[in-house]
Amino acid sequence: MPNHVNSFEDIKIGDTLGPLELFVSKDQCRAYANTMGMGGAGRFTDDEAARKEGLPGMIIPGNMSLGLLSKLVTDWIGSSNARLTRMSTTYRVPVQPDHTITIHGFITNKNPADRTTEIDVWMENEEAERLVTGTATVAFRK
Amino acid sequence: MSVNYDPELINKVFEVTEPVEINAEEIERYCAALGETNPIYTDAAAAKKGPYGGLVAPPSFAVTMRNGRNFFQSVPRFGRGGFDAGKDVEFVAPIRAGDRVTLSSHVKEIYEKTGRSGTMVFVVIRSTLKNQNDEVLAHIDHRFMNR
Repeated sequence: MPNHVNSFEDIKIGDTLGPLELFVSKDQCRAYANTMGMGGAGRFTDDEAARKEGLPGMIIPGNMSLGLLSKLVTDWIGSSNARLTRMSTTYRVPVQPDHTITIHGFITNKNPADRTTEIDVWMENEEAERLVTGTATVAFRK
Repeated sequence: MSVNYDPELINKVFEVTEPVEINAEEIERYCAALGETNPIYTDAAAAKKGPYGGLVAPPSFAVTMRNGRNFFQSVPRFGRGGFDAGKDVEFVAPIRAGDRVTLSSHVKEIYEKTGRSGTMVFVVIRSTLKNQNDEVLAHIDHRFMNR
């Protein structure tokens, strides 16, 4: 399991990124929402307000999930000669704080012509249910 | 059932925002909120020797530009409010402290989909982020789900 990529040549289809296990507390969720100016939407800061919207309780902002999935990829890139050029996400199931979430990545494609690689990324809950799925593209400089 | 909307909405820029000035503290707060520790985003001295020659924001910072700002007020809504269903982001160039970022946005597409919970209407808004030098930083497709 490579935690960092060294070069484009080293990558193999089927290589994995992570898994990265995280416990996101309600306070961390509120801190993100308030820091990023999203505190006004109660669903990210208050269980009661979230339930009024038909949610099971407070949820983690989609942007925070996108940020965490991107971080899995940029951590893997580290300081190597590569760049995250695309991230696409689908929010399938609301992500609830005060739970352990696990973030995974899996290399699905490698294109030597333009030195890019495609990575499936996803976020799971304790029941291995995929809450957020996505794909990332990383481009390596020549 | 088909969704009714004015076809002239599609591809027409409905909003070009005032510039949003990005400061170093904001990037620092973003990194802290996400638990970011990569020195190219958090350590000015280390970042100077890195691939961008200075501190840059993590790529995902691009999607936070709307947060807490009243952008997209004229986006068409169908049914009871919209939820964020996902995003497709193309990162073109890094955002740096001191950048003045504008978002130019248009409706890319509107479509219907029937799932387990009934019929949903998706509105895809594409925003192009540019800096003060008119350089493109990112293209963001915001997918909003209405039902």
